[in-house]
Amino acid sequence: MAVPNAGAYSKAVLARARTSVTLLASGSAALDRVGASLDAREVAPRTLGTLSVGESGEVAGIDGDGALVVRLSEMGFVAGTHVRLVKVAPLGDPLQLTLRGYHVSLRRAEAARIRIA
Amino acid sequence: MSEATTPRIVALAGNPNVGKTSLFNELTGSRHRVGNYAGVTVERRDGDVARKFGAVLTIVDLPGCYSLTATSADEAAAHATLTGRGGDPPTAIVAVVDATNLPRNLYFVLQLRELGLPIVVALNMIDTARTLGLFSDAAQLADRLGVPVVATSARNGDGVGELVAAIGRLPARETASLVAPQAAMTELRDVLRKLGGDGARARWVIGTAAAGRLQEHGGTAPEQAAIATLDPQVVLRAAVQLAELRYHEVDRVLAGIHEGGDTTAPAMATSERIDAVLTHRVWGLGAFALVMATIFTAVFTWAQPFMDAIEWVIGAASEATTSALGPGLLTDLLTQGVIAGVGNVVVFVPQIAMLFLLLGALEDSGYLARAAFLMDRMMAKLGLHGRAFIPLLSGYACAVPAILGTRTITSFKDRLVTILMIPYMSCSARLPIYSLVIGALFVVDPDAPGANMKRAGIMLGMYALATVSALAVGFIAKRTILRSPTPPLVLELPPYRLPRLRNTVLLVYDRTMDFVRNASTVILACTIVLWAVLSFPRDATGAGEEGPTNISASYGGRVAQTMEPVLEPMGQDWRMGVGILGSFAAREVLVSTLGLVYGMEADEDDPVELREAIRNETDEHGNRKHTPLSGLALMVFFVYACQCMSTLAVVRRETGSWGWTVFMFTSMTTVAYVAAVVVFQVGRLLGYG
Repeated sequence: MAVPNAGAYSKAVLARARTSVTLLASGSAALDRVGASLDAREVAPRTLGTLSVGESGEVAGIDGDGALVVRLSEMGFVAGTHVRLVKVAPLGDPLQLTLRGYHVSLRRAEAARIRIA
Repeated sequence: MSEATTPRIVALAGNPNVGKTSLFNELTGSRHRVGNYAGVTVERRDGDVARKFGAVLTIVDLPGCYSLTATSADEAAAHATLTGRGGDPPTAIVAVVDATNLPRNLYFVLQLRELGLPIVVALNMIDTARTLGLFSDAAQLADRLGVPVVATSARNGDGVGELVAAIGRLPARETASLVAPQAAMTELRDVLRKLGGDGARARWVIGTAAAGRLQEHGGTAPEQAAIATLDPQVVLRAAVQLAELRYHEVDRVLAGIHEGGDTTAPAMATSERIDAVLTHRVWGLGAFALVMATIFTAVFTWAQPFMDAIEWVIGAASEATTSALGPGLLTDLLTQGVIAGVGNVVVFVPQIAMLFLLLGALEDSGYLARAAFLMDRMMAKLGLHGRAFIPLLSGYACAVPAILGTRTITSFKDRLVTILMIPYMSCSARLPIYSLVIGALFVVDPDAPGANMKRAGIMLGMYALATVSALAVGFIAKRTILRSPTPPLVLELPPYRLPRLRNTVLLVYDRTMDFVRNASTVILACTIVLWAVLSFPRDATGAGEEGPTNISASYGGRVAQTMEPVLEPMGQDWRMGVGILGSFAAREVLVSTLGLVYGMEADEDDPVELREAIRNETDEHGNRKHTPLSGLALMVFFVYACQCMSTLAVVRRETGSWGWTVFMFTSMTTVAYVAAVVVFQVGRLLGYG
């Protein structure tokens, strides 16, 4: 393997590992207890749903069903993009986010699908 | 050499909220045709370029979308039009972009360039970009992109002539511009190879397949077969890489010329200050309530003088016809069938126009997105999108404009759920019925102490029943016949802008004409059939002669009399049966129909004699036929029954199917009958009535 790709490759492996841990963690409460022995950050990776108002994060990847992943990617939520939480709607959901020079509203459920670095 | 004589079809493409409608109106001088894309309820507008621009061009206004990947009906329609499925493909594309938001807008431009059609970019809202001190150099952007770019400000008409000239200078052919995947994008490269090589079609297949919509939106059998051999996760990875690829290219194009695209949104600076109030936790909800109250008042009250005027004209036309022709069957057909039928259509125009005047202005201003933002939490509990709120609320005024208003909902299934809910909302036409029944059977003496309280309490009860029922219908429909996941909310909150009167007026005109054209046949036909059913046989009813028609002896009256055993369990007699039949034209017609049944000309606004006749009617034992309990059953029946042919005509138009129309009518009538029977029978068991 060429050297410049090594970084990307190991990043991809890490991302995949993180995804599988996420899936396990969300799979059942019992697994949460197993996960507690792991690094806390690995069990509950930070997502856009964990941002507080005014805070920003850098998109690392999106989990979820195909239609949502494609839609969010095409709206600009691609790896490396900075996203800031602007506001929470008066009833507590959805969120108002800004990225790539525009504002978009996502529900907490969808924001929680977007992992941030 | 022949641009001036050969008609060319130019597709106008762009993200929502970039001023595409304004540009279309400027290009075509507001002359256009409205239709639908084949097989879907996505609106399509075509128009010829205004003569002053000196070019022969047909403009097709594509639905505003963020991408061509078919994740919704809008995007599928845009893609089908651009690739010539279901019609002539365009010979060129005008890609409209918002100059104040290039980091996202250029994504779509890159996707359009992959198609290999000649393309010119309209760098719109250039005036705002300049005011904000943002990048606004069309020549430099053209240089970076490698396609012509024309700075425009469609709101003022600036640059539109130059845009038409630039379209004229486009080459007849263009090669597709495909940014090659980077070496690390292994999944994308693999999948493209499996699909027979890179190209716009292969890229579209990847995105659409990853979204799970390939079959639904026209993937060919070989394409579906090729995708089926691949791991879905790999296809999804490839689709994400495709998005990354295009966004990397956008960043490359904008590098050094357009900074600050990350988490600062310069175009939103003013809007954020406005939002500090309009989406504030307290003030925001207050402002929203105010906006809703305004919409409601507009449809409920402001439209009334216009409706009164229309009714006056219809009445005058009827009288003129009668005095010109004298009494006779033809006169009756013309006045009670044709003229009344036309009236039944036209009378909705003020309400539709009012609703769309406000909805159009709110959409244009950017507030409609905020309304969805504010209400989404509540609607999501039902499984619907925040955008469903306003049409539902409008249903309290009138179901007809409300159903037309569901067009802002993108998912067809969710639109159907909303359409099924709306007629349950207690519309203004039910008020005269509630008034009549309450006045006849509940509040006999309007001056007695507490009369108004009692009246208001009963009314409120009916509204509460209607609201709870509508919500229940939505909840059930969403989980049974129209099951679909709660649509994700990916809702752009665009900058606030002053709405343009011209755009709004054109929208109002289009919607109103669309209603008149498409609903009038059904409404007119129903009115004539109803007239016939309640007028024949002529020798028994005396139709066409002087004096009120004896509709009790008509076919409709006879049916109601034989149906009496069915009406009895809900506490009604055959006279009410005739009223229910006649009020299918429109609920408030119950009053005048019942008047005819009781042999009087009832005043629709204050039918004193009719109230007395209903109250005092007795059976052979001298017992009163109508009691508060039977009145309650009748009101409950009208809460649920879809006694409105205009609603059904609009449902037919908006769903494109008689199936849903029939379903709505039969299900609502069944619910109405069962509920009324339950009320009456349980009431009797409990010793009332």
